[in-house]
Amino acid sequence: MQNIIIGQYVPGQSFIHKLDPRAKLLTAFLFVIIVFLANNWLTYALLGAFTLIAVFVSRLPLRYIYNGLKPILLVIILTFLLHVFLTKEGPLLFNLGFLEVYEGGVKQGVFISLRLLFLIMITSLLTLTTTPIDITVGIETLLGPMKKIGLPVHEFALMMSIALRFIPTLLEETEKIMKAQSARGAQFSTGPIKERLKSIVPLLVPLFVSAFKRAEDLAMAMEARGYRGGEGRTSIRLLKWSGKDTTLFIILLILSIGLLLLRS
Amino acid sequence: MDISVKELEHSYNRGTPFERNALKDINLSIPSGTFQSIIGHTGSGKSTLIQHLNGLLKPTAGSIQIGDFLIRAGEKEKRLKALRKHVGIVFQYPEHQLFEETIEKDIIFGPLNFGVPIDEAKQRAAKLIKQVGLDESYLERSPFDLSGGQMRRVAIAGVLAMKPSILILDEPTAGLDPRGRREIMGLFHRLHQEEGLTTILVTHSMEDAARYSDNIVIMEKGGIALQGNAEHIFADSDALKALSLDVPETVQFIHRLEERFNRTLPQSVFTLDAAVDAALTILQKEERS
Repeated sequence: MQNIIIGQYVPGQSFIHKLDPRAKLLTAFLFVIIVFLANNWLTYALLGAFTLIAVFVSRLPLRYIYNGLKPILLVIILTFLLHVFLTKEGPLLFNLGFLEVYEGGVKQGVFISLRLLFLIMITSLLTLTTTPIDITVGIETLLGPMKKIGLPVHEFALMMSIALRFIPTLLEETEKIMKAQSARGAQFSTGPIKERLKSIVPLLVPLFVSAFKRAEDLAMAMEARGYRGGEGRTSIRLLKWSGKDTTLFIILLILSIGLLLLRS
Repeated sequence: MDISVKELEHSYNRGTPFERNALKDINLSIPSGTFQSIIGHTGSGKSTLIQHLNGLLKPTAGSIQIGDFLIRAGEKEKRLKALRKHVGIVFQYPEHQLFEETIEKDIIFGPLNFGVPIDEAKQRAAKLIKQVGLDESYLERSPFDLSGGQMRRVAIAGVLAMKPSILILDEPTAGLDPRGRREIMGLFHRLHQEEGLTTILVTHSMEDAARYSDNIVIMEKGGIALQGNAEHIFADSDALKALSLDVPETVQFIHRLEERFNRTLPQSVFTLDAAVDAALTILQKEERS
């Protein structure tokens, strides 16, 4: 339960913590695009430097970043191996019987793995340094203009904030039910695989039951307090765009120009 | 099985910005077959403490000895499952742990996990469903069709079916109506006496604690603030007030009666019946003099 960091905001006072959530969201979004500009060692080094500096500036313990990467590590390794063994470009490096490894494959493998790594790190930074509520408010304001074409932006944001709000609650609930069933002799983390798989049912059924009940209660409570949704509703959180946020965009612009100049 | 807790410490989320010290320097000994109550405000560490008693939580420092099981900080006790067979925990709102299609299947879940043959487990279920105040026709029904109070009873039966020798109750009557409370507490008290269970009750109710327990522990901010038998604890109402806890209503009533008529009763009074008797004695003496 400890290594899931979605919505696990780590409080802090760093430059990145203090950025406007809109700026961070846009940066993460733009980063996803400019990552694809990189296509040689130099440009990847530039992206890597940007990512590492961002991690450093956030002053987050590295363990958190690593914990965020752990679940995706297998995917990265798999991607790397697939590229190494299946891309047949450039000179042949070595030959392991039926497996042939080409230079192009290794290069491609490293690049794609790095790309994934950077993406995950930057998006983890976003969620680690921004409270879920701030993220939601940020998304809502960013998507604000879409209301004009009839998109239910407010409802969407509400759904998201509810979902985010309930992640810790559900985790807590999971832990509680796990404990209760462990006390009745269920085995979750020890014992043969077959036993552990069987113990998922006693965990999931109560979890679903309580999630549905919670949803119903929440809907009722909102209705009882006269919740009406988007139109004319003001927010207690006012976002403020500051010099820091503009600085971030200037850095991002320089990064993009650098990538465009250095890419081959 | 005797329980002995020595210098127990526990902190949640160790080594993260969220680190929180939940228990510190807990020394507690619960002899086999006694009824122990643990009282304290929300967040005082009661639930954390009881979760150490069957290895659901590991101590950060200190040790817990339960019979011949020893749980120590930094060591892995390999026989946790064997230990859990002996220690049954009724968690807060235990009805949330129900999951099976039928009530019978849910009750026998625990016993089957601990290797009880299915026939015997079913016999236990049939016996227990009556003990918790439902009848055998319920066994084939779905636990999710029941009312909250009935679900609570079924969940309790599920824990009792393991035949633990130590029974831990974490606010078992929270959210029940007064009658349900009396029945459930009566059941636990009966089991405690008839089967010689070591019972540990976590509660907010001073009345329940006073009425049933041999010993009481009062927790405050992760440590033990007061410890002793009911008479000892409730005699010192100032110390309790300092912890913003109340003495039981019956004790308050008798105290005021004693003051009013300037008499002292030979012993403490915890049950309603005893309070009525005591009040009568005082009034009768008053009439005679």
